Amino acid sequence: MENFPILAIMTLFVCAFIVSLVGRRNAVVRNVVVTIAVTVPLVMMLCLIPTVFIDGETIVYWLGNWAPEADWAIGICLEVDGLSLFFGLVVTVAVFVSGLYSFTYMNHDDSLVNYYTLFLMLSGSVLGLVLSGDLFNIFVMIEIMTFTAVALTAFRNTYEGALEGAFKYLAVGSLGSTCVLLGVAMLYSQLHTLNLAQVAALLSSQGTNPVTIAAFAFLFIGFGSKAFLFPFQPLAADAHAVAPASISLMISGVLTKCGVYGIIRLVYVLYQNYDQPIVQYLVTGFGAISMFVCVTMAFNQHNFKRLLAFHSISQVGYVITAVGLGSILGVGAGLYHAMNHTIFKGLLFLTAGAVQHQTGSLDLDRLGGLGKRMPKTCLLFLIGAASISGLPPFNGFASKWMIYQAAFLHGVTTGNFYFIFICVVALITSVLTLASFIKVAQSVFFGQLPEEYKDVEEVPLTMRLPMWVLAILCILTGLFPDFIQEKLLTPAVNAVFNVVGYIDTAMGTGYAAASGVTAAGIEGIAVTGTWSPTSWLMLLFCITCAVAIVFLLASPDDKQKGFPVSSADETAQPLDAKYEPFFSGEEAVYSQVGGSDLFWGFKHSWRRYFHFMHDWHSGIVNDYALYGAVAIAFVLLFCIVLL
Amino acid sequence: MNELLLNLFYVLVFPGLLFCILMGILLAGLDRVWVARMQRRVGPPLLQPWYDFLKCCGKETIVPRHAKKAVYFAAPVIGFVALMTISLFLPVVNGRAAFSGTADLVVILYLLTLVSVCMMVGASATGSPFAGVGLSREMVAMISYELPFVLVILAVSRATLSYDAGTGMPLTFSLQAIMEYQEANGPLITHWSLIPAAIAMLFVIPCEVGMHPFDVSEAETEICEGTLAEYSGPPLAVYKLTHMVKMYIMTALFCVLFLGGLTTGILFFDVVIFILVCALLTFVTMSLPHAVCARFKTEQVFKFYWTVVAGLAAVSMILVWLGL
Repeated sequence: MENFPILAIMTLFVCAFIVSLVGRRNAVVRNVVVTIAVTVPLVMMLCLIPTVFIDGETIVYWLGNWAPEADWAIGICLEVDGLSLFFGLVVTVAVFVSGLYSFTYMNHDDSLVNYYTLFLMLSGSVLGLVLSGDLFNIFVMIEIMTFTAVALTAFRNTYEGALEGAFKYLAVGSLGSTCVLLGVAMLYSQLHTLNLAQVAALLSSQGTNPVTIAAFAFLFIGFGSKAFLFPFQPLAADAHAVAPASISLMISGVLTKCGVYGIIRLVYVLYQNYDQPIVQYLVTGFGAISMFVCVTMAFNQHNFKRLLAFHSISQVGYVITAVGLGSILGVGAGLYHAMNHTIFKGLLFLTAGAVQHQTGSLDLDRLGGLGKRMPKTCLLFLIGAASISGLPPFNGFASKWMIYQAAFLHGVTTGNFYFIFICVVALITSVLTLASFIKVAQSVFFGQLPEEYKDVEEVPLTMRLPMWVLAILCILTGLFPDFIQEKLLTPAVNAVFNVVGYIDTAMGTGYAAASGVTAAGIEGIAVTGTWSPTSWLMLLFCITCAVAIVFLLASPDDKQKGFPVSSADETAQPLDAKYEPFFSGEEAVYSQVGGSDLFWGFKHSWRRYFHFMHDWHSGIVNDYALYGAVAIAFVLLFCIVLL
Repeated sequence: MNELLLNLFYVLVFPGLLFCILMGILLAGLDRVWVARMQRRVGPPLLQPWYDFLKCCGKETIVPRHAKKAVYFAAPVIGFVALMTISLFLPVVNGRAAFSGTADLVVILYLLTLVSVCMMVGASATGSPFAGVGLSREMVAMISYELPFVLVILAVSRATLSYDAGTGMPLTFSLQAIMEYQEANGPLITHWSLIPAAIAMLFVIPCEVGMHPFDVSEAETEICEGTLAEYSGPPLAVYKLTHMVKMYIMTALFCVLFLGGLTTGILFFDVVIFILVCALLTFVTMSLPHAVCARFKTEQVFKFYWTVVAGLAAVSMILVWLGL
């Protein structure tokens, strides 16, 4: 059992090399190897659930059996506590779905061996990151992750902007990686160890000094840049727009989660300074700005996947905000939303990929009416859109609702108005999210079908199946929040707060107490509001039945049982102007209301803001690097002056 | 068995389906009569909305060729049913909701959103350009009233904050807690710091319902009923009914948030007084502006709500936050 973490990581890396060795000859062998590589880690993570989640144990694996000598951790270890396993599960589910989806989705592309090799390496590095118990190991994994992600972004290098997007990601992403390296180096210079558990213990016993605080700032902005938090969000937009959809799923569902994981580890385990108001302001501030700026940016996008990319950062902003509150409910809500975000955003990216696969376009101003040609994809999209917009009873609502509770509660208990303001921003962001998904629905799946897409076909089952997996997860995680809280979130949140357990498992019992670490776990997540999706659904069902019965009884004659459907069969009807849209007697013409024409009143009122943001996202990599540098300087100053 | 029957009674009769529909028809009828009187017309009979509804039900449904049929039919029904469920969570009479353990104030906010979303998605699915413009305006209207609505909710929740007896945790966004607070301390409208929030809420009601000066999404003369342009027959009837019931739900929500806790002790009188208050609110928030104002432009609605109305609500919230 304790070998499972390293085996899961090794499976992915080894299979990456096997794919590049054997995959060139035979596509079937390649696909079999990839299927094994994406399934085995998922199964292993699931096998760890009883030990880690139910028994509450922490699994430590010392590479090369380099266990700590005389209380000094020299070797590299993998340490899997509830938090690591939680993210490990999220990562492996996303990898599994993405891998299965790739088989059909990538069939228009060539040199697929490179694709799968990079894909498996990306997956392995991400899994390695969340399971690792060693700071430098985390940095190495971040580097592998960034470079494979850059290569995969540029994979379709014939696309306009692919190389550009990849280059921006490479340049500014390196800035973030450098920050992480710098932070790690500073910590090492002060504490002479890289083991997470020992770093946490030593930071607690020695107290902080300006160097470790600077390391905190660098690590925070480094992990933040990996989550594409403001001001790194333009990178994500450029990368997502050109990357294959399966890789967009990975970047948004998995890579950003690494940033979130890093920040949680940093704030809650390493420095344990989550209860300091300054840290709370910093983390929630970055989260709130990200969620608001990105949602307004998403509002104006014309590319389906660019729009999703901005939403991705916006939702990660929710997660970071919730995590930054420093309360048990906040962390629980943040983890819940992180998980849900991977599910629904993965689903949305896959539907975008399906549209791209069938039509070859992602342009919101040119598409339209695809709901008639791709009804199943349309349904899947609606499920995903309802989830991300936070409509009950889908999962996005359950977690956002917890985030509002957490922010409000934190504001009330601390008496700080700032957190209420955060709560208002979160609620407004939710409505703007809804608006931009209404825009996508209108401009891609509904409205009128352009002539050029009138023969578009539904995607094959092999692509729909991974989407259905995610859609069903969307519904299930939304309908049973109590179950999720009890079985998944409570162990994970417990691990976040159980620093003593984390340190003692790695360094030997008593080490934490000797260092003065006292945080030792929680009882459970106390949610104070009331939301019971299953009983709501029962009420919904009862009333639907009642309404349906009334309508059936009230129908005027036998032919019109229920809703009368007159123009049901298009082909049987003669071409009759009566069934064209209402045009006040004019001849019907193609008149799709495209995405960019929507929400005029809002855009007009905010035109200055939108112009400013438009200029701000200049597309010049120098500018983006500058924003990154300014952010680094700001966080550094903020932390050193105030902490 | 008794409990099941009681629950069915709650869901289907009072305060659920039947009561909501009756109240919706009553309020809509009163609104039409009042507007007519203010415009020196005789006006229709009180039950005219009901007759309209029945007439729509009997008509043929014409689905446009571009429409996505499943969504076209499902959207009005889901929206209507989601709206009906809200009535079960509002502690309207007696200070108790039928199913108080199911949803709180934030859920109600989102259920109201769901109703509008169903309307927008349904409109979108018809493929008509008028519906496209209509849903765009509906969304802007929604963004407009959402900010003041959220601020009102936060202000009220903060003002009535109470602690769970067992765990000592604060009860957030609980309608039950809001009712109990008002029973103990008098209706919230009597608290001077919450009066701006109450005024803001009065403004939110017509926009949420989509009544005349704020009915940008259904502007008949400009965009041919916008979101409803392509609807006919029973689905249109369901939309009309949704609109009427929304009048009742929103006025009842105002009663719960700001006028709760008043009781005569006799259920019958309580219900009568509640109905009268709903009618009065309908007159103040919907009929009067309808008769007096011409329709706003979309950007005017947005500006008005994000400056004046949100400002009022924010003032209240800050006052409440300062403990006044």
